[in-house]
Amino acid sequence: MSKVRTGAVALVTAVALAALAACGNGEPEAGKPTASDGPRVLKLWHYESADGAMGKAWAEAIKQFEASHPGVEVRFEEKAFEQIRQSAGMILNSDEAPDVMEYNKGNATAGLLSKQGLLTDLTPEVAKRGWDKLLSPSLQTTAKYDDRGIMGAGKWFGVPNYAEYVMVYYNKDLFEKHKVEVPTTFDEFTAAMDTFVEAGVTPMAVGGAEYPAQQIFYQLALSKAQRPWVDNFQLYKGKVDFHGPEFTYAAETMADWVKKGYIAKDSAAIKAEDMGVSFMGGKYPIVVTGSWWYGRFASEIKDFEWGSFLWPGNTMSAGSSGNIWVVPENAENKDLAYDFIDITMKKEIQNLLGDSGGVPVAADPAAITDPKSKELIENFTKLSGGDGLAFYPDWPAPGYYDVLVAGVQNLINGSKTPSQVLDEIAAPYEENLADLGN
Amino acid sequence: MIRKYSVLISLAVLAAVMLVPFAIVTLNAVRSPQDYSANGPLSLPDGLHLDGIVEFWNRVDFGGKLWNSLLISGSVAVLAVILSVLNAYALGVGRVRGRVWIMVVFLVANTLPQEALVYPLYYLSKEAGLYDTRLSMIIIFTVIQSAFGTYLLASVLGRFPHEILEAAAIDGAGKWRALWRIVVPISRPTLSVLLIFFFIWTWNEFFLPLIFLISNENQTVPVALGVLQGDKMMDATMSSASALLGVLPAVVFFLIFQRTLTRGVTVGAIK
Repeated sequence: MSKVRTGAVALVTAVALAALAACGNGEPEAGKPTASDGPRVLKLWHYESADGAMGKAWAEAIKQFEASHPGVEVRFEEKAFEQIRQSAGMILNSDEAPDVMEYNKGNATAGLLSKQGLLTDLTPEVAKRGWDKLLSPSLQTTAKYDDRGIMGAGKWFGVPNYAEYVMVYYNKDLFEKHKVEVPTTFDEFTAAMDTFVEAGVTPMAVGGAEYPAQQIFYQLALSKAQRPWVDNFQLYKGKVDFHGPEFTYAAETMADWVKKGYIAKDSAAIKAEDMGVSFMGGKYPIVVTGSWWYGRFASEIKDFEWGSFLWPGNTMSAGSSGNIWVVPENAENKDLAYDFIDITMKKEIQNLLGDSGGVPVAADPAAITDPKSKELIENFTKLSGGDGLAFYPDWPAPGYYDVLVAGVQNLINGSKTPSQVLDEIAAPYEENLADLGN
Repeated sequence: MIRKYSVLISLAVLAAVMLVPFAIVTLNAVRSPQDYSANGPLSLPDGLHLDGIVEFWNRVDFGGKLWNSLLISGSVAVLAVILSVLNAYALGVGRVRGRVWIMVVFLVANTLPQEALVYPLYYLSKEAGLYDTRLSMIIIFTVIQSAFGTYLLASVLGRFPHEILEAAAIDGAGKWRALWRIVVPISRPTLSVLLIFFFIWTWNEFFLPLIFLISNENQTVPVALGVLQGDKMMDATMSSASALLGVLPAVVFFLIFQRTLTRGVTVGAIK
């Protein structure tokens, strides 16, 4: 007994001593290097996984940067998304800030930091290096923020390097088995789902507990909407009537789809992850979700053929630029940061991003060799060429994501009528407008 | 007899319920991502697939994170126990004036959520040049843990038999000597339990290390696990692999010290 105790005390004491020793001599190296001593350093952070499309493309960009900047060391750290989400403001306000980092686009994230003066105004660099010419208008929306930190206009605080959009993924084997053609119009789309329902197959995998269900709801609203409606809803350019034709149609159709059996009644409790896994398991012929699933589908679906198409009949779709490069105001080597961003915008890097299953913003579609990636990028080009990126339904107000999850869950469960649900989701939106003084 | 069996059965069910999450994590940790996508999380894996564990280990330099966690948790456990003993000696045995109020302050400090402490601590550590250092975590958690330790130990020492202390005083022992020669040895079981709890609690801390340990080289195990959770995507098999790696050290630590722990918990009961 006492042997165990002595052992424990010895172990703990050893740890404590080591701790003090490590703290003592660990400090100087942990401090940041200054410009005067040693080689210059580009401190770069992002939170994409190394084997994803962005991870691969940016690794190549780092290599090219090192080649064109001899004597500069790139100090790259892969960060946890959660860490940047929780503490970006605090990090950027200290002298630990990196020179360039990936950050979430949107009013509550990049917008807020720009308002607090923590991000560098990139407008002169954007004009000088011509980044604005590479990005279509709806991609630029998430890069510019005004004095109130609201996106869409004002100064450039970020540069998007990739894009994302919501599409319909389908299981080719199941389509063939039930003799369903790829639908090109909305009527064909519902007819296809009818065929599956008659054969006893639930057509759509839906994750009602997270973002997927509200994106379907939004796609339905977009099928009745024009660009000004999106600008009103997302950028507060005018009033949005939640009982107008767009949302009324979306809510009623969604409820109707559950009744018709297109969407399973129990989907309200399904998480996005389970939705994706059930599609990859070949249980559902269709899943409506974003391009962020693309890479995983490509690498993990082995048992059947699959493909993707844009939501039939829509000219607009949920989607936006991906996360953006930002340069913190406290960055020490801003010139190096601009050079690095410039490299990631080059055709070579953008094409590599596209070939690895990402959606590049400035690639050359002809140079993409992988046939599936080509399909993904061609669909995106079609969408963005028609100014069709309509952002995401949860963007306009803080905390709106949870409001929409609850609202759409009520639609799926049938616990509230479409009209009641519209009232439910209208209230927080209006409150936020009042807070903004609109 | 029936009662005896019903207790046994309900304990067995409870144990099974507790172990199921561990079993699922282990199952998925050794499963390939393709298998996970095709067959879901609950089926038996088709083979032993250790790539997830190896890849995660290399990707986040897990050895370094283990060392950081061990360093921070070990130092906090020792320092917080020492600080708690000193505080509790003054409050419980020394009976300083206003000790009830001091105890109330410690109690309130215990109920403060860490979210409320983040900004003040952030500014303090930035001013002191300790932001993004392991030392900042050691200092902060030593104080946080010893707030609880002081509260607990002070009430334990409040009932410390005064005859023993008086006897020691008659034999010529000063306050300092009485503390180290009498009080600490006698309350050792309680102190060991505190030490183990402090270690495990600090080991599992996520929020403050997430905010304070910015550089990857300073991060702890729970923060490293967070790398795998993306904006919209999660990698279920690799998350399981990392969870397994993350929980193992705490389990090992618990197994090594569990006798000390049970002894410490039951020591009051025997009296």
